[in-house]
Amino acid sequence: MKISIVPALRALKPAAMLVLVVVTGLGVGYWANATFYSDTSPEQPIAFSHQIHAGENEIPCMYCHTQADRSPSAGVPSVSKCVGCHNEVATEQPQIRLLMSYWENREPIPWIKVHDLPDFVHFTHKRHVLAEIECQTCHGAVETMDTVRLARRGIDGTVQYDHTWEMRLCLGCHRENEVENGTDCWTCHK
Amino acid sequence: MPNIDRREFLKLVGAGGVGAGAGFMLRESKKDPTEYLIPYVVAPEDFSSGIATWYNSVCSMCSAGCGISVRTREGRAKKIEGNPSHPVNQGRLCGMGQAGLQVLYNPDRITEPLVQTGDRGSMSFEQITWENGLDQLADRLELLRAARRGNSVSFLTEGVNGHLAQLIESFMRQLGSNRLLHYDFDHPHTLYAANQKFFGQDHLPYYDLQNTNLLLSFGADYLTNWISPVHHSIGFGTSRQRQAEARGRFVQIEPRMSASGAAADEWIAAIPGTEGILALGMANHIVSQGNYQGVDRADWSAALSDYSPSQVAEQTGIPESTITRLADEFSETQPSLAIGGGAAANHSNGVDTLVAVNVLNYLAGNVGREGGLLFNPPPAGTVSRPHQASYRNMLELIEAAHQGEIDVLIINGTNPVFTLPAAAEFREALAEIPLVVSTSSFFDETTVLADLILPSNSYLESWGDHFPEAGVGFPVGAVSQPVVSPLYNTRATGDIILGLANKIGMSSTIPWTSMEECIKAGWRRIYERGDTQTLAQGFDEFWTALLKAGVWGETTNGSTSFTPDQSVIDSVSVAAPEFSGSEQDYPFILHPYLSPNFHDGRGANLPWMQERPDPMTSVVYGTWVEINPTTADELGLIEGDLVDIESPQGQLRAPVFVYPAIMPNVIAMPIGQGHSEYGRYAKDRGANPLEILSPQIEQITGNLATSATRVRIVATGRHIDLVKTSGTSRDLGRDIVQTTGGEGHEVSDARLNSIPITELT
Repeated sequence: MKISIVPALRALKPAAMLVLVVVTGLGVGYWANATFYSDTSPEQPIAFSHQIHAGENEIPCMYCHTQADRSPSAGVPSVSKCVGCHNEVATEQPQIRLLMSYWENREPIPWIKVHDLPDFVHFTHKRHVLAEIECQTCHGAVETMDTVRLARRGIDGTVQYDHTWEMRLCLGCHRENEVENGTDCWTCHK
Repeated sequence: MPNIDRREFLKLVGAGGVGAGAGFMLRESKKDPTEYLIPYVVAPEDFSSGIATWYNSVCSMCSAGCGISVRTREGRAKKIEGNPSHPVNQGRLCGMGQAGLQVLYNPDRITEPLVQTGDRGSMSFEQITWENGLDQLADRLELLRAARRGNSVSFLTEGVNGHLAQLIESFMRQLGSNRLLHYDFDHPHTLYAANQKFFGQDHLPYYDLQNTNLLLSFGADYLTNWISPVHHSIGFGTSRQRQAEARGRFVQIEPRMSASGAAADEWIAAIPGTEGILALGMANHIVSQGNYQGVDRADWSAALSDYSPSQVAEQTGIPESTITRLADEFSETQPSLAIGGGAAANHSNGVDTLVAVNVLNYLAGNVGREGGLLFNPPPAGTVSRPHQASYRNMLELIEAAHQGEIDVLIINGTNPVFTLPAAAEFREALAEIPLVVSTSSFFDETTVLADLILPSNSYLESWGDHFPEAGVGFPVGAVSQPVVSPLYNTRATGDIILGLANKIGMSSTIPWTSMEECIKAGWRRIYERGDTQTLAQGFDEFWTALLKAGVWGETTNGSTSFTPDQSVIDSVSVAAPEFSGSEQDYPFILHPYLSPNFHDGRGANLPWMQERPDPMTSVVYGTWVEINPTTADELGLIEGDLVDIESPQGQLRAPVFVYPAIMPNVIAMPIGQGHSEYGRYAKDRGANPLEILSPQIEQITGNLATSATRVRIVATGRHIDLVKTSGTSRDLGRDIVQTTGGEGHEVSDARLNSIPITELT
């Protein structure tokens, strides 16, 4: 007697097809989210352009991010700092009017954080800026960005976009530059 | 290509859609939540984000007045440390001081002014505005003041000093009331009275623990709660770690081993209340052995004639040989120091006991000497030092309330419903008072009975100042500045009073609009007393320097010589202690002691303090009754057995903890738990031994003799497991602790009155 599983498989065919379609759909959905909804360049409450400020007008980074060389956090400029210039500059632009409405209501602007490290990483801007590392090394060519885009320094030293930081990248740079205690756990994880 | 019919096709499209949707959501769920960068609208000048700013201020967790440095980030307090420049605590801080953050961030804080809308204690409070709250009180006060019935207003506050005390005083004077009471449960009334009686000084001397070679402590648990525990801990540590000279020796005399007793070289348990008699026995021996050579030797000899070591041995239960040995050691070791307090001072003969301790210091030549007892100069003249209300004063207030003499009672920071024994009937007295106002920031047992709550800031949000009462040999003061802006809609106590004063129209005598202004004006007067160098820098400079350093001191010294009057010498005697309850009915003496974690109960709402193991028993989150193993054996009790402790005044229930370092006829309980209110961490946890105390009074001070209540133990037959961090306290044959009878030392019976020796089984 001949036993074959082919008839049984044939019966499963429509179901297998269904599974295949679902799995493919899953992949497509995932890919679509990662590609089109990645949030690596989120829309900000005010369409602030680094390209205009840091690029065209060549305002130094630390003019606004004043604390980068003395604090762990680079610091976001206060609303009053923006208003300091925009009382005079480009006052008719709709985005500046939006800024002024925040100012008049004494409300802070809820900027969305693009570069974010987990809470267990104690990154400090101060040390990196004092070591004369260019902001662009890690943040990419911010002066060309209309909307800030997620960036990181790749292992080869080039900037990679749309990917979050990984520990190997920190360590790679620390090793490359022979940073003192640069691979000690407690340097970054307290 | 298989044939797909319409039906099949739709099925597949649907499946594909569901798959794509699921894939999309899968990725979405893996995303980190959106983080925001919220900038300041206007950046504050005194801090930058990411950088810690430290503010110096004053700890208000107890009355010691340690200096603190608070680390703040982005306007939030993060950590409290000791201020290294403050001479009281020199950079150190105790556990309760550290837990101050949990007062600030406590989830049970009262965040708004409230008015009681139902019956008292029904907790039906309604939120009101400050304007409304202050008006309600001010209107009543103004009416009473206009009717010349200002004296029917009573202000009952926790012990405060400095300019806040001055402000409250002048406010009450303006109202025409002399019913201002500062009340702290643990205020050492007897110590003040004993120093007044013997030295003629109304302030405490400085006890130089750091430089002494022999410290004899009669009941003072100075490492955890006596006067200024952090300062004493530093002194003790220094004396123990001396390299060049001899390590300081330390003997502790108390019926139940405290954390200080555990650090002693020798621990002696005298019959409770006879510590003063023991001191006089030693004094007698010093004089009769010719170790005291003063001109008044004959007077002392006569005054102490009733206290020969053999008589004293009988009364105190301490062998004569021990008394004479200690006395010889005390007079021969130079310098030596005797201190007294705690349970020894909380008996009916408390003042006399502490006078006897002073006598010892005097006879051994320790008065006015480094390593002994140094006199503090009178505290800074411009700052008021209010007198604390004794238990008797509280009874007078209660009586006045029952007579209908009190119309308004304002309670600030103190919780008498919890700290007064039920026998005082304070709760009942409150019911007789038409308007009860509390400025507490927590719903403690007293505040829930208030009609109006005007919640005050925590000390980390307030302006104030503090002049440590005991001093450190020279006058010290410190400004308490807010380290964060108020988290809630609360106001500093000082500002509440200023608000009232303003509404009642007292601006001619109380001109300030804020507490900051009031404190600043006060310090301007202190500045003006300064030397030319201080004056040359200008007040602003002085003020800034003061806030930066967090402390201020003056270089004056107290007197160094002292000779007691004949009458003082003649009056030296210690009577036998009196207890309430007969020995037949109530065979045990209840020894309530201040918990190192909760102090007088104020720390019970701090989870850090609740979970910190008690230093002697390692128990957390609860109350226990310490019972000697012999007694426990006799009563058939083991650890965790629930017992009822009954005094003539009431009863409470707590589990047994078998504690070898306590006298067999004494049982001990920590104070601080057993709250019926006071927030989620304190409420309904443990029992409050103060509740069942008999109203036995020390006659000279009117202080409550808290160690003079007799109780009996009634087993309930129920058992619970005590939550504690240590395992067994027994050796269990593991040879961890080995004991030997050293040469010249008798191995005493571990169960009676010496340091316990681990039982080998």
